[in-house]
Amino acid sequence: MGTLIKIAWRNVRRHKRRTFLSALVIAVGLAMFILMNSIMTGMDRANIDNLVELSTSSIRISTKEYAEDIESLPLKYGLQNVQELTMFIQQQEYVAGATPRTQFLGQLSNWEETMPVIGQVVDAKTDVIVFALMNYLEGNYFSDEGENEIILGKGLAEQMGVQTGDYITLYALTRYESRNADEFHIVGLLNTTDPNINLNTILITYETADSFLDLEGLVTELYVAMERRVSYNLFVKDVQQLQTKLQSRFPELQIDSFLKIASGFLKLTEQKKAFGMIFMLIILAIAAVGIFNSVLMSVYERIREIGVLRAQGMKRGEIITLFLWEGGFIGILGSILGLIIGCGANIYFVLVGIPLDKFSGLETSGLPFLGRMYGEWNIGAIIFVFLFGIIVAVAASYLPSRMASKMEVTKAIRYV
Amino acid sequence: MPLLELINVKKDYMKGETVIPALRGVDLLIEKGDFLSIVGPSGSGKSTLLNIIGCIDTPTEGSVLYDGTDLSELNDKEKTRYRKENISFIFQSFNLIPVLTARENVELPLIIEKKFNKEEIHDKVSNIIEIVGLEDMADRFPRELSGGQEQRVAIARALVKNPLVVLADEPTANLDSEMSEDIISVMQKMNEEIHTTFIFSTHDPLVQKHAERVIILRDGLIASDERKNHGHAD
Ligand SMILES: Nc1ncnc2c1ncn2[C@@H]1O[C@H](COP(=O)(O)OP(=O)(O)O)[C@@H](O)[C@H]1O
Ligand SMILES: [Mg+2]
Repeated sequence: MGTLIKIAWRNVRRHKRRTFLSALVIAVGLAMFILMNSIMTGMDRANIDNLVELSTSSIRISTKEYAEDIESLPLKYGLQNVQELTMFIQQQEYVAGATPRTQFLGQLSNWEETMPVIGQVVDAKTDVIVFALMNYLEGNYFSDEGENEIILGKGLAEQMGVQTGDYITLYALTRYESRNADEFHIVGLLNTTDPNINLNTILITYETADSFLDLEGLVTELYVAMERRVSYNLFVKDVQQLQTKLQSRFPELQIDSFLKIASGFLKLTEQKKAFGMIFMLIILAIAAVGIFNSVLMSVYERIREIGVLRAQGMKRGEIITLFLWEGGFIGILGSILGLIIGCGANIYFVLVGIPLDKFSGLETSGLPFLGRMYGEWNIGAIIFVFLFGIIVAVAASYLPSRMASKMEVTKAIRYV
Repeated sequence: MPLLELINVKKDYMKGETVIPALRGVDLLIEKGDFLSIVGPSGSGKSTLLNIIGCIDTPTEGSVLYDGTDLSELNDKEKTRYRKENISFIFQSFNLIPVLTARENVELPLIIEKKFNKEEIHDKVSNIIEIVGLEDMADRFPRELSGGQEQRVAIARALVKNPLVVLADEPTANLDSEMSEDIISVMQKMNEEIHTTFIFSTHDPLVQKHAERVIILRDGLIASDERKNHGHAD
């Protein structure tokens, strides 16, 4: 075995140019995959972070009855023990905060036009700990003593033709299902690229809602934010751990993590990953052709040598092994080179990032973030593609190797 | 019992539609320790005959018995083993592995054979390299050797596993007369000392001179088979 490896390695070294070119194709494929994977993971992460920061938080708690009827956002099923829950949650590890919200359906009117909206009743003090709305707020947040203050999605405000400082009318059904309407003072606008928030959402405080909706402190949902982790997987683990803990402590409640709340979006993310995989497969297929060719040339050049080895009593299997090693070495070299190029370039993407304003039209694509996008290290994917590069190289060498082993010895020796 | 027995061996090659008879019925007995030269013009079938004996080619008709075993009854694996255990080849064009040094080339058959440990291999190789007089060249690659030196490596490679039969197809064709003389005497020495059977093809009269048995092949048939009186005899 050692001798086969030695012969293979020396042949790979002997044809430096050919080896380099074949290895380069693999390297390019690998590097592109690493970068694409990094950017896509980074993009997904940014998307998920935004989703968690802006709308789902890490964990949502409600009653089971509410969860079943959540589409109609009923004001019927309040959480009984918000205080106790909040206390318990705040004692847990990695928890950034918890805040109550009560959602309701309403209509916004400027006397000319009426638009359906989703109202969010928020706790002005704790809401900003759980949700990062402040980062996207134009104008002011709720003041301490102000009454009937409202914050609108910016898109919504534009459609209604209103601005900060203007007044607008909100209709809704109260907790006791009687119609109510009132004038609200617009203090701020939320300019996020999440179309749900931008186009459908209004925020009011519990103080305001108590009179407007007869809410009497009714809390239908409690949102929990976990501290951000650099590693997405660790973050998911934190969230799942807390979820399990909460579920066992409060079995009567519905405890959903963002994984469930945003499952549709996350599924889309997985599909994009599969697409990236196909892309890499195509590149590696090209690389495979390169290696196939290289090993085939090697076989043709050494037909006589193969004959000699066979005449000396080397088995067919050993001839195959010899050439598989040659392909394998090219694969290893290419994969190492690809790793260096890919990871080297990725350092740039992770540290410096890509400014997004260079790409126009991103906002309309619904990607909910602004500014820079960063790459992410995905060690699992890097190890996978490294091994995959080698495997592809060996697999591509199989056919020419088999050809070499099938050669008739006399013809091989005769061959000049 | 003779070491090798060829009975009515025929070999046809196909070149497109036409049949080329390379051997047309060869009967031959080869004893252990023979130092036998097959002579004949180019195309007379010398290489074909050696290849068939070495089991890298199969006769179209007739049979070759080695120690009483019919080689045509062996499957591919058994043929490989037969070669590995009994036969060594020396080729006209040396056919050394270019990426291996002289020493590594000589080691190769022992490594392929997988019968000896590292030390045994080292000793055997050193010994044979000394016999062919290549001590100083052992670590050179084939391209750094002269033709004569290359053929010595090829001979060392053929002899290192102490085969019963060495098949040498025009071993001196690419060498000048002085080198040829040299190579033949190395083979002769092995033949006398350890009774290795040598079968070589040649059309070099100088080589024929040293052979103790000369077979003349013409158009795929044995035209004459002469044993000389001098030299070593059984
Ligand atoms: N693989 C082959 N295919 C077709 N013809 C062959 C092949 N090998 C040998 N021959 C023919 O068989 C005859 C004998 O060849 P060979 O044994 O090489 O003779 P020699 O070694 O005496 O020169 C020649 O006519 C040669 O052309
Ligand atoms: Mg010939």
